[in-house]
Parts: sequence; C-alpha cells; structure tokens
Amino acid sequence: MDIVVAIKQVLDTSEAVDVVEIDASGKDIKKGALISRINDWDEYALEEAVQLKQKLGGTVTAVTVGPGEWDDTLRRALAMGADRAIRIDEDAAAMDSCVVARVLTALISRLSYDLIMFGAQSEDLGSGQLGPMVAEMLGIPHATLVVSLQVQEGEARVSRELEGGVLELYTLKLPALLTIQTGINRPRYVSFASIKKARDKELKVMSLGELGLSREALTPMVKLEKLELTPAGKRAELISGSAEEAAANLATILKNSGVILSG
Amino acid sequence: MDSIYKSLAEIVGEGYVSNQPEELFIYSYDLGTTEPHRPDYAVAPRTTEEVQEIVKLANKEKIPIAPLGGGLSLAGLAVPLRGGIALDLKRMDSIIEVNERARYVVVECGVSQGQLSSYLEKHHPNLRHSEPGAPPQATIAGNIAIHGQGDLAQPYGFNSDMVNGLEVVLPTGEVCKFGSCSISPNWFTLHPLPDLGLFLGWSGTTGIITKLSLKLYPSKKIKGVEQFVVEDEELVPEIVYKITHTEMADDIVAFSQAIPPMTSGLHHINILMTADSEKELEFKTGLFWDDILREYIRNGDGGFLNLSSAMKAGLTRRPQVSKASDWKKGGGFEYVGAIMPVETYPECYRRGVEISLRHDIPYTVLGRIIGRSHAMMFSWTYAFNRADPESIRQAREALHESDDLALELGGTIWKPGIYGQKLVMERMDPNTLKLMKKVKELLDPNGIMNPGNWEVS
Amino acid sequence: MVLADYKYKDIIHRCFRCGYCKFPTDWMDVNNCPAYARFRMESYSCGGRLWLIRAWLDGKIDWTDHLAQIVFSCVACKNCAEKCPLNFSDNIVDMITAAKSEMVERGSIPSAVKNFLENIQRQGNPYGDARIKRGEWVEGTGIKQYEGQEFLYYVGCVGSYDTRAKETAKTLGEVLLKAGVSFGVLGNEENCDGNEVNKLGEESLFQMLAEENIQKFKDLGVRKIVTLSPHSYNAIKNDYPKFDGSFEVFHYTQLFQDLIKGGRLNVSGGLNARVTYHDPCFLGRWNKEYDAPREVLNAIPGIELAEMERNREATLCCGGGGGNFYTDFLGGSETNPARIRIREAYATGASAVAVACPNCMTMLEDAVKAEGLEEKLKIRDISEIVGEACLVKRD
Repeated sequence: MDIVVAIKQVLDTSEAVDVVEIDASGKDIKKGALISRINDWDEYALEEAVQLKQKLGGTVTAVTVGPGEWDDTLRRALAMGADRAIRIDEDAAAMDSCVVARVLTALISRLSYDLIMFGAQSEDLGSGQLGPMVAEMLGIPHATLVVSLQVQEGEARVSRELEGGVLELYTLKLPALLTIQTGINRPRYVSFASIKKARDKELKVMSLGELGLSREALTPMVKLEKLELTPAGKRAELISGSAEEAAANLATILKNSGVILSG
Repeated sequence: MDSIYKSLAEIVGEGYVSNQPEELFIYSYDLGTTEPHRPDYAVAPRTTEEVQEIVKLANKEKIPIAPLGGGLSLAGLAVPLRGGIALDLKRMDSIIEVNERARYVVVECGVSQGQLSSYLEKHHPNLRHSEPGAPPQATIAGNIAIHGQGDLAQPYGFNSDMVNGLEVVLPTGEVCKFGSCSISPNWFTLHPLPDLGLFLGWSGTTGIITKLSLKLYPSKKIKGVEQFVVEDEELVPEIVYKITHTEMADDIVAFSQAIPPMTSGLHHINILMTADSEKELEFKTGLFWDDILREYIRNGDGGFLNLSSAMKAGLTRRPQVSKASDWKKGGGFEYVGAIMPVETYPECYRRGVEISLRHDIPYTVLGRIIGRSHAMMFSWTYAFNRADPESIRQAREALHESDDLALELGGTIWKPGIYGQKLVMERMDPNTLKLMKKVKELLDPNGIMNPGNWEVS
Repeated sequence: MVLADYKYKDIIHRCFRCGYCKFPTDWMDVNNCPAYARFRMESYSCGGRLWLIRAWLDGKIDWTDHLAQIVFSCVACKNCAEKCPLNFSDNIVDMITAAKSEMVERGSIPSAVKNFLENIQRQGNPYGDARIKRGEWVEGTGIKQYEGQEFLYYVGCVGSYDTRAKETAKTLGEVLLKAGVSFGVLGNEENCDGNEVNKLGEESLFQMLAEENIQKFKDLGVRKIVTLSPHSYNAIKNDYPKFDGSFEVFHYTQLFQDLIKGGRLNVSGGLNARVTYHDPCFLGRWNKEYDAPREVLNAIPGIELAEMERNREATLCCGGGGGNFYTDFLGGSETNPARIRIREAYATGASAVAVACPNCMTMLEDAVKAEGLEEKLKIRDISEIVGEACLVKRD
C-alpha cells in the first residue's frame, strides 16, 4: 500500500488567543510569539496512514507546499512513521486553494499511490477544499470527513460523519482520496528521540520548475482582501444566587444568546 | 456488554470490578509455584451486604468465587481454579472494636496483620495479637481461616484457637454469626454454643468470613530474645520439651538453614520472651539458662549465641522481614508447612536437607512450637527464580516430596494446596470424608465456593 | 521491544509481591502507595505494576490503554523503594520509569501524558501556555532579572503559570528580598526543569531540557540556585550532574533555615495557628530533607506544629508527581490520595496545612475543596507562612 499524505504547518493559536494580532499587511496574523506546528487534522491523517502501513505494509510519503520552516512538520511526520517527505518550496500563503491543488496534483501524479489522505480542513484558513480539488484534478474518487477507514482488496470502506451523529458508509475503489476528520484515531506521541532518529530519513525539497510549473502560470482565482478580528464584547454580567440558581440562570442566557442550540 | 459485569458493577461500583486483561492476569497468580488460572472478573467489595449480593449473583449464574485476603498462602488457595470471580476482600479493612477488659478485637475480613499490630501499638499498647511470620499484608481473617500460627503459638496455640466469633456469608448468600455475637453485642467467646466449626481449615470452600473477633493477649514493655545453638538435631525435641515446661517463653522456633554457610548444620532454638521489668526478664532468662540449658552447655552440646542489640532488635521486631524470596535473586519461594509431632524434628531436618540437595536449593527448615510442645509447624522452604522455569520445576518437585514426607512421618500438611489436599484425603477416615462431602453439599449446593479445593470424589 | 532489551531485565522478576510496598514505615495503613490507595486493585500496587510490566515485555499480555493507565498511575513517590525489604529496592521506581520510557518511545501513552509532553516540547511548560507569559508573575514585586547575583531563583512551571502557585512564587521572592538575599530570576527565559519529563520516561526530551538549562546557567555564570519546587531541586541536584551541570542547589526551606539562624530573616511577626506539615516526596523521601522545613516552622513563635500520623518517610504522597498534578489519573473519588491526606490533616486539629511544593499546593487545594473543608483548613506554602511572620504584606 503506497499512501501519500498532504500536510501543512500552521501557527498554534489554541492557547494564546489573546496574543493574536493582525499584521501590517492586514491579510495575515503576526507570528510574534506564536509557535508553529502540524495542522491538527493532518496529524490524524498521518496517524491513520502510518497505522495502515503498519498493518498492510507499503510506504507513506508526506508532501507539502510551503516555505523552509515547514520542514519541522515534515520531520515530525517522518518521526511518526512516514518513510519520506517532499516539500515544494513555495510560500503557500501567496496562493489560493486552487493553485496549491494544481501544484500538489503535479507532484502527486509523479508518485505511485493507492491512497491519498488530506486533513479535512486547515486550522488557519479552513477552506476544506484542497482534498476534493486534488481528487477531481487527478480524476479519482474521494470522500470527505472520514471518521473510520478499512482497506482490503483494492477498496476503501469509510464512514463519513454527518450532523447529529449520523454516519454514512461508503466503499471506494482504489486509488482514492480521503479527507480525514479529527477523532478517527489517537495520534501517537512523538518522542524527542524519534524526531532525532528521523533525521536519517529522506526529506526532498523541489521547486515548481522541477514539476514543470511556473509561478506566473499559476494565477489564483480567489483574492484575500482583508483579515480582521471579531470585536470583543464589552458587556459583563455577574450572575448571583446559589449554585443551582446560577446554573439555571446561565443556561437560559446561553440558550437565548444562541451560543447553545436548545434541543 | 456482559450482563454479569453490569450486575457486579451495580453492586460494588464501576471502579471496583474489572474484566480487563491486566487485573485478570494479576489475580490468576499465587506467589508460589502454583500454575495460574484466570478469573473472569476481579471484584473488590466494601461491605458484607455487597459480598452477599455477589454471592447470590454467583449462585444464580453458577459462577465460582475465589475469596482472597493478602494472597500469601503460597499454596494457591486463592487461585481461581475454575475461573469466575476473584473476590479481593482487602477493602473491608475496618477495625471495628477493641474491648480492653475482655481483651478482644473485632475486625473486618480485610484488616491486615500490619494494620492491626500498628493500631494496637498506638492505641492499646497493653494488648497484642499472635502475629504470624507472613508479611504484614496478610489478613487476620485469611490467617485464621487456614489455621495459621503466630508468635504466641507456644503458650496459646493456633491463631484459629483464638477466635471468639465469626460473621460469615454462606455460599447461598445468608449471613450467619457464630459465637456470643450471635446472641449479644459481645464478641467475647465462641464456646459453649453448639460447635459449628465449618469455616476454618476449609480453604474458603464453605463460605466467606466477613468479620471476626480475635483474642488479644497482654503486651509487655520489654522484648527479650535468646538463641541457643546445638549441632545435634536429636537434642532439639528434648530441649524444646524442657523449655515449654517452664511456661515462661512466648515464641519458640527451632531453625536451620544453609545460608549463611557458617550456620549450615546447626540448629538455632530461638526463644522470645517478654516482660514488664528487667527483673521479670532476668528471672525468665535465668530459668532457661540455669535450670535447663546449663547442662547442655556444660556437656559442650550447645551454647548461647551472643546477640548484639541490633540482632536482638531484628529478632524481636514485628513484623519479621523475610528475604527468602531473594536468595536465588529470583523473586520467589514456597514452603511446605506441616503440623508435626515435635519429636519428628530430627528426621524432618535430615530428610529436608536431602530433598533440598537433590533439587539444588539451599536448605531452610524451621519448626515453630505450638502449645506446650503439643505440636510444631515444621516448614521446608524452597527458593526459586521466577525467570527460570527449570528452577520453578525443581522447587515444585521438592515441595511435593515434602508433602509426601510430612504424611510419611505421621504428621499432616498445614494449608495444603491441591496436591497436598489429595494426599490428605487419600489417607482420611472414609466416614470423615463422607461427612466433609455432605457438609460441603449442604452449604454449597451449586459448588461455587473456591471449587477445585478439598473436592471429595 | 522484548524483555531482552529492557534496562532492568535482570532484576524485574525479583519482586515477590510480598506487599511491603503498600505500607508506610509503621504499617498502620496498607494504603501508602497513592495509586493503590486510589484503586485498591492489586494491579495498581507497585508489585502488581512490576509483574504486569514484566508480563508485557515478555509478550504474555498486550499493550492496552488500561495497561498504560496502570503504568502511568505511578506518581514516583518512592514509598515502595523505601519499604521494599529486598536488595533491588533502590531500582523499583526506575524500573517503572523505564517501562514508561518504552511506551513513550512507541508513542503509545495516555492522551493526557501526550499533551503534557507535547506542551513542554512546544512551550516549555506542561500547560501549553505561551512562553512569553512565563515571567508575568514578577509584575509588581521588584524582583529583578538574573544578571550574576549570588543566587538564581528558579521558579519552575507550576510556580510560573498556576494561579495559586504564582502567589507562592511572588511571596518567596519578596521574603528573599526582605532578607536581603542577592538573587534574580530568568523570567521568560526560564524553561522547564524536566523533573516530571524524566519521571514520565521521556529520556531524550529530559536530556535536551537539562542540557539547554545547564548551558544557559553556565553562560550566565550561575553557581547557586534556590528553587521554589522540590521537583526542580531534585532534577538539578541529582540528575543535572549527569549532563555536566553541577550547581549548588538549595530548596528554599533550606535557605530559610540558614537565614533564620543567621538572623537575616526575622520571623517574630505575630502568627497564631496550629499547623500541620505535609512532607513533599521530592524533598522528603527522594532527598531525605525532613528537618529544614520543620525547623523553619518551629522558629515562628505562635506556630504550633502538629504532625499527621503518617509523616517524614511514612508520608502519604499527595499524588502530584509523575506529571499527575496535570494528568490527574488519581482523581475522581474520595480515595484520591490528596483527599485522604486532607482528611488526615484535618484530623490533627490544624487550621492550615503547610506545604513546601507548588505541586502539593495544587493537589491539596483541589482536594480540600472536594472535601468541602476549604473554610476550615487552609493550604499555605511555608513561604507564605514565613511571609506573614516577617510582615511581607500581600493582598
């Protein structure tokens, strides 16, 4: 089983929400003290790929389109169990999903693959489009939001998670592309020692030219105009009373504000 | 999900029942050479009522129960031979009452030896119980259920003779009380109510002891110890006989061991005594030295070991710490304990050395005197290395030979495992056997209580 | 990995399961192993854990989540090593840590441990809070950055980020200022000391942390270190020398002891309270320091020190070691050792429990609330008690 996993590196804003600031260009956030790491969804995809490889044999190749700093995430992918990694050296922030899809397609079509996996979306831009676009460009079937996966005899049986806990079951003929939802597995811990060991594995950097593409020929179809923070609310209400009273009060407030869907 | 698991969880709470491989693994083992047998559930109840519910469920579903205290019988008596429920009773660890005047303590079945010793030392320093040589994790209930003996065996007998009352859950789920506690709030005497001794010595096959009352004895301030050493094993029984005549000793233990090498072939008679004053201690010690042992010293047949204060402290410390398990750096040992006539000491020793030699195990034998030389608990101990299957096999063989030997010399095996139980039953009076069978069937019609043990064919 | 590769393969079979490891020194209660006290199943005692580790490495049982829980429920309190009568007892906790290492290298560890370690990898603290906030607690105290002063005051992760423990960090600093001690802190430059990482078996991460810290200390010319936490004290004193980092390190109670004796710290301020002291495992059993904190408390007139039944080497651990102050494997029941400890403390009639460790602080603060005793029993760090006694005002 040859598996290709497309991953990206994002800024970790989970614990540092209050330090997020828009930069001078108005189209990105300041890196500042934020640290980078693998996109959460992609980690699940990688883990799924590595587990499959451990069960069925074969290879896992991690690919990305991004700048040099993203090698950290590729190394982590190698430490998790990917056999090799390939990075197309470009600033992905200057591209839209369609352009990235075209670059990835050009790369992946040169690799042998039975299965391609993407994270269902990215933490920063959250478009969720990349996987389906690449599948279309490659002319292979795809399924998104996959929460469980079984592979046997040239087929992938997947469950997709819908609203309200409903699951759809699909069978796809391989080669196929899947976008992976969080929770499908428990990504393994990557120890410091295994990251060091992974330095022996192949991390290849390629240029657009080597794929027969040029930056000029890849014009984005979507243009980001502006990035802004939602204004922080200026109201605070003190809820008093006994624990039960306060809880009931709070529940009502949350329901009425639409924060919780009542049902 | 497993409906029995659900029912058990409803009785004791989810946290105290497990059918996970880890718990099942641990609870399948005895610490000795007994082969493991996997239970289906490990359950840890807290109250007598919970135990009742579990027993009723087990009866209904015909699931075996193997009750477990400290799990230190070293004869596999708590190994779930037919699977089922491993019932860990150690959560039932309340010390319910100490009655100073009547000198007794009422405890739940999970109270450990160490816990009781410590509690009495702190809160009732004038009282003590007869503490067995097992690690402090051993439970009071487990010990009396197998007729254990402690460091008051010589004056007062088996620990099971010190029981004033029992609360038992029958295999059919009813709770019974035996002794004065069944007719009054006092737990001070077992006799003279009709004798219903159906739960001691039965290896848990007739019911689960949930509470018991134990006689306590005076605890004196000063602990003294003397060790008399002789080379000729034939002298041991007569020396012991004479010392017991004085009625002044607490614990008398005669032992001999190959390690350290300088003690090999020698017999140490360890005499523990207690006193409330130096005068009392000197008086007692004087009786042993002057009246009894002087002639042996004069004849050059033996001498007192000069014990440093550190050694004395070690010998009088409670609980005693045994390092036997580490002699083969192997983490394991098992012993055959037999109740023997004291006069068999020399032969027990000689044959024990021979068996040990043949199995390449350094010999360790010990005889603890019970009563006024009425009997002794004689043990042949065999260390083994858990990581070496051959050493386990050798130990097991040596143990079986020792079981055979005990019966050959006219004694009986204390807390026998399956092998020893069969030997005893083979020799037993057939009418007695028949009665045992009847009693068992009466109490445990579905055969759920620790099956595999004492099964009369 | 097979048993043959395991670091302690020659001794792991030597556990007899005698059960001494469950007891405190005076046998009074069979539940002195925090995990065993919590779960009361044999699998959670030290001996049970060792047998399970051996069975796993030997291929007799498979890795499961439950096995990982059992192994990681060891909080490295060292009660077992203290009590085990056999000759291999010195290695017991290390044997369990080595098994944790095995699981760490395979990546198969409980999620909470994974988060703990990943947070440290990323942000230098187990909470995953931003590095740039580590030094915020210093605000308004007058405590200076380290620039060659006599002591480096090393705070640690809990003291830098935990709301309650931050107060302790501040108070300790202020007391040191009052006593005229020359010291500075690293602020945002401080990184995790790695003690818990070490006890969780992530050896290479610990080595990286230690080596980075040692280099940083050396570059700054640090010679003497005073720590808030016994965990930091333990790592720097006992483990950093392996990586060529030898510093004179003190736990702050030891420094207080000297300062009081030398008359540089006047603790005569009016304080009247019956207080009981909870020995932290990494100061007590791990480093045999039972006296300094007691001498400090006894030096304060009006403080009546009442000992709990289990004290010094017999102490019941609060369960805060081995990362458990974050992973919380021993919570969720009244048999949580921290809650058992609070009940013991309350039984002494004390109005406050004196602690000398921010992990103990966290565990006992949560426990006193769970026991509903927060009005009756206060948890106070020794630095706070001394702070009151030398009239360092805090609001």
